[in-house]
This record gives sequence, structure tokens and C-alpha cells, in this order.
Amino acid sequence: MTSRVPAFKVRATARVADRAMHLALWLIALTFVAVLIGFVGGILKEGWSELNLGFLTRMPEALDAGGGIKPELFNSLYLVALSLALAMPIGLGAGIYMAEYAGQGRALRFFRLCVETLAATPSIVLALFGMILLVQMLGWSFSIRSGAVTLALLNIPVITRVTEESLRGVPRELLEASYGLGATKLQTILKVALPYAATGILTGVVLTAGRAFGESAILVFTAGTNVSQHFPDFRLSVPGETLSVHLWYVTSDGTLPDATQIAAGTAAVMILVLLALNLLVRLLDRAIRRRTR
Amino acid sequence: MAEPMPDLPETTLDAPLLPDGLARIATQGTPCPTPVFRQSHLHRLADRWTHLLFLACTLLVVLLIGGILYFLAARGAGAFFPLAGNTDKVVTFREVFLSTNWDPGDGHFGIVPFIAGTLAVTGLALLVAAPTGVLTGVFIAKVAPPWMRNVMRQVMDLLVGIPSVVYGIFGLTIILPMVGHAWLADAPAAGFAVSAAILAVMIVPTVVSLSTDAFESLPSSLDEGSQALGSTRWQAIWRVLIPAARPRLLTATVLGLGRAIGEAMAVQMVIGNNPQWMLLMRQATDQTPVLRFLFTPAATLTTELVQELPNTASGSTWNNVLFAMGLLLYLMTMLLILATRRLGRQEHA
Repeated sequence: MTSRVPAFKVRATARVADRAMHLALWLIALTFVAVLIGFVGGILKEGWSELNLGFLTRMPEALDAGGGIKPELFNSLYLVALSLALAMPIGLGAGIYMAEYAGQGRALRFFRLCVETLAATPSIVLALFGMILLVQMLGWSFSIRSGAVTLALLNIPVITRVTEESLRGVPRELLEASYGLGATKLQTILKVALPYAATGILTGVVLTAGRAFGESAILVFTAGTNVSQHFPDFRLSVPGETLSVHLWYVTSDGTLPDATQIAAGTAAVMILVLLALNLLVRLLDRAIRRRTR
Repeated sequence: MAEPMPDLPETTLDAPLLPDGLARIATQGTPCPTPVFRQSHLHRLADRWTHLLFLACTLLVVLLIGGILYFLAARGAGAFFPLAGNTDKVVTFREVFLSTNWDPGDGHFGIVPFIAGTLAVTGLALLVAAPTGVLTGVFIAKVAPPWMRNVMRQVMDLLVGIPSVVYGIFGLTIILPMVGHAWLADAPAAGFAVSAAILAVMIVPTVVSLSTDAFESLPSSLDEGSQALGSTRWQAIWRVLIPAARPRLLTATVLGLGRAIGEAMAVQMVIGNNPQWMLLMRQATDQTPVLRFLFTPAATLTTELVQELPNTASGSTWNNVLFAMGLLLYLMTMLLILATRRLGRQEHA
């Protein structure tokens, strides 16, 4: 019996290489796992001793040790909520248009290019834009509103993309059934497609909230590095330093005697919030998978 | 709008006549209550006009791209031309883009050190992140058992979610002292090496998730055919899968590069912020230029913006040159996005 020569020569070296690379792939992957564990562990270990109720509920100090992060924590949540409230309608609208109205042609490709470009725009560039237009030209100065609007620019492309993708994932027969029942296109989108896509969109929104929560470059130049003396201050015209900006500012400014401890504690708080958000995303994801199965 | 009547359809609708998907939903209840649609003049009017609202949202995104370009260009151009609102002297393109001397107090605005710094730190980061990212992508898509696949996805999700200032503080308080003690006899370790290492970890999730998608979208016949011809696993990956996925792998790398170029805070916290780093390099006379290069405090386009923009007066040459640097950053990322388009077209050709 003649056996054909295989296209790949499997010499001993090839087998050794196969084994070696298999091992190497595992090692690389495990390195990333170790990096993550080392990272989160390191941050939490440094900041653990700072984490107490007093740290979370005291006002920050300008020159003395012992300041807390109460207003920063509030500003972080307030700014994330405001920026999402601004970005949601626009992102949803643009996503709906791209998925349902733009067709498949050149217009869709152009809109996608624009959304991708905005998504890839460095946050420091968005910060410069917000600084020129809002802080200086409109005279809003360093304030919550300047920060919220500029931060919304960061959220819009992400929400647009996730809305478009989720709407494209809606099963065709569902839409056809809706049209079959006599619904208009708008009714189909609002009452059939959007409810079906809602969990997917919500996952994207939670991820966006996490990104906005951690953003600092934008807010340094638009929301400023000070906090209001009142608490809680819902006014839109006061400066609103967030947790991430505070973390950066105390380490680079260097006037606080306990800057290192405050930075470590702030970092630990941020990591804990983000871990919680991540858990939320995972639960939403599981809900989606249970439904589609 | 019509009142949704969630409970009615189950009894009134003739289930067998329904398309499969709706019948399933009608009989199982939620996810969406089957609506009963009522048509009126108002509904038809809304249907005809609301898409303009959605179009307006989309056009706003387009407008934003142009608006950012316009405002940055208007301010950046003030450095080179005597425009309105410009209160200071103008400089030439030569003085800015071809000079390595950054000394704003003395009227020197050469931004070559920052461009070189950006290229150096992103290049180094990519050198680490691109190969490891692509290999991790192969690992997740083709090699890892399902449980490990899950673990890796979660690891990457978490890595991408960590804010840049937290990366920065980790580098500042943990990595810099460690490196300084271990290799540099307690010298500060700020510079390209540590910045690039942190940047690499920050962009790896982008490269990994896109290259995992690339490998998963390849037809399984490629993999199977190769192994049926007698290749080992690794030969199939190296000679068949990676070449087949090449355009998308390059796209993944380019998008990673885009993220690295735009990163500001994490790098600013660990790079040392020294605009004169090229001068320092030239004066250094020690025997190990590579080591000196890796651990010289330096600066990049983004770090310089963070460092100096708050201290400059609006309208001054200094301020305008900084905005020109921002414009340069924006144009760079636009160019990278267009490059990924090019690569995408290559894939279909």
C-alpha cells in the first residue's frame, strides 16, 4: 500500500516545537492572569488600611493630613449619571438609525467610520475640545456641566455601537411577525426590537458607565480639580473633581502630607466599584444567554 | 400609542399560523409582551417623521468629528499665523516640527522630543503587546479548554476596565520603586521602560479580543485541512491560521496602537515629564546607551499636554503650540482608523 507524502513533514523538531509552543501559549496566558491578580491585589493591599467609613464620609483637606473623599465620590457618581443621561438619547437614536434606516450602502459605511473615529479619539483630544468650546467660549468655566457634556462625547460612540449591534441581533422572524400584525416600522422598533435588544444595550451602558467612572484626562480640563464646599451640591456650575481626578491630583500636586495614603485609598475604592460593575455585567450577560438558548 | 395588552394574545391569537419566533414568545410570555398595534393618522405621521430625529442623532456624531477638527485647528493655527485672538508672536513650522529644543520661557517651541517620545513609548509597548496579544488570541480561540477560555475573557474584561489613573498609581507606587531598587541602585526608574510596560498591559485586551474574533471567524476547514495533511497543531497555527487572519490581526494591532498613542494619565504619572530628554541623551557619555534610553525621564505629546496646558495663558504662543500638538494627536488617530479601513478592504479582496 502506498501512502501519500503528507504536505507537512512532521519531524521530531516539529513535534518538539509543537510542545514548546503549546507550553509557551499557556505561559503567556497565565502571565496575564498573574498580572491581573498582582495588580488588583497590589492596589487593594496598599489601600486596605485607608478604607474605613471616615475616609468615605469626610471632606478632603487642602493642606493637612486626614482628608476624606466624600464630595469626590458624589461627583463621580453625579457626573457619570449626567453624562449617561446626555449620551443615552443620542447614542440610542444614532444606533437605531444605523441599524434600521441607513441601509447597507455608502451612507452606513460613512456613519460607521465616524462612530469609529469618535470612539478612537484620545480622551485628551476630547478634553481640549471641551475646554475650548465649553470652558472658554461658552464661559462655563471648570464646572460639572462642562465635564458632563464632554464626558458624554466619550460615551456616545460606545452606546451607538452597542445599540446598533444589539438591534442587528434581533431575530428576523420577530420583526416580520410584527409587520405581519400591521405594525408600522416605528412601532416595530420601539415595541419589538428595542425590548428584545434591551439587555444587550444595558450591558453596553454599564460598561460605558465604568469607563466614564474611571476617566480622568477629560475631567481635569473640564470639571476641574476643586470641589464645592457644600455637600451635596447638585448645582451644575460648580467645579466637580471626581475620584479619578483626585487620585491624579493629590499625587502630582504634592502639597498634602498624606497624599500617598489618600491616593492608595482612592485607588482601592475605584477598583472595588469597578469590580462590582463587572459583576453586574456578568449577571446581565448570563440573563441574555439564558434567554437566547 | 396603543395600549400593550400582554395577556390577551395567548388566547386570541391562532398560534399555528404565527411565525416560529412569535409563537414561542406568545406562549412563553416575556421577553416582550406581544403588542397589539392600532393604526391611526397620528401613528402614520410619527412613523414618517421620527426617522429624521434618529438621523439628527447620527449627524450629530458626524458634526462632532468635524467640530473637534475645526476648533483644534483654529487654535493650533494661531501658533503659526497671526489670527484673531492671538496675543503673542507667531512661529514657523520649521521651528516647531523640526526642532528638538523645547524651552517655552526662551521662545523655543520644538516638539520633536514629544513626537519621538510618543513613537518610542508606543513602539516599545506594541513590541510587547502585539505578539503576546495575538498569541493569547490564538490560545483563547484554538488551544485553551473551555474553562480557561472563560477565565481569560474575564481577565481581559477586567484589565480593560481598570482606569488609567489606577494603572498610573500602580506604576508610581509599586513598579517604579521596585525597578529602581533592583537594577538602578535606587535611582528613579521613570522613563520609557516602565511607561511602555504599563501601556502594554493597557492595550493588550484590545489586541486580544480583536484577534480572538479574527481566529474564531476563520472557517474550521482551514484548521482541519491542515491537520489532516499531517501538520502539528503549532504548524497549523503558524503557517495556516495566522497568515489567513493576517489583515484582521494587523487591524487589531493598529487599534491597539491608537489606544496607546492617546493614553495620557497613566504615562504622565510614570514617564518623568522631562521635555529635554533628547538633550540629556546626547550629553550622556556612559557605556550603556540602551539602558540610559530606557530609563531617562522623558515626555510625550499627551503627557506634555497634561503637564503644561493648565499653566499657560490662553492666546499665548505656548498655549497655541500645545493645541497644535493636540491636533497632531487627533490627526494621527484618524490616520490609524483609515488604515484599519484599508486593511478591512484587503481582507475582502
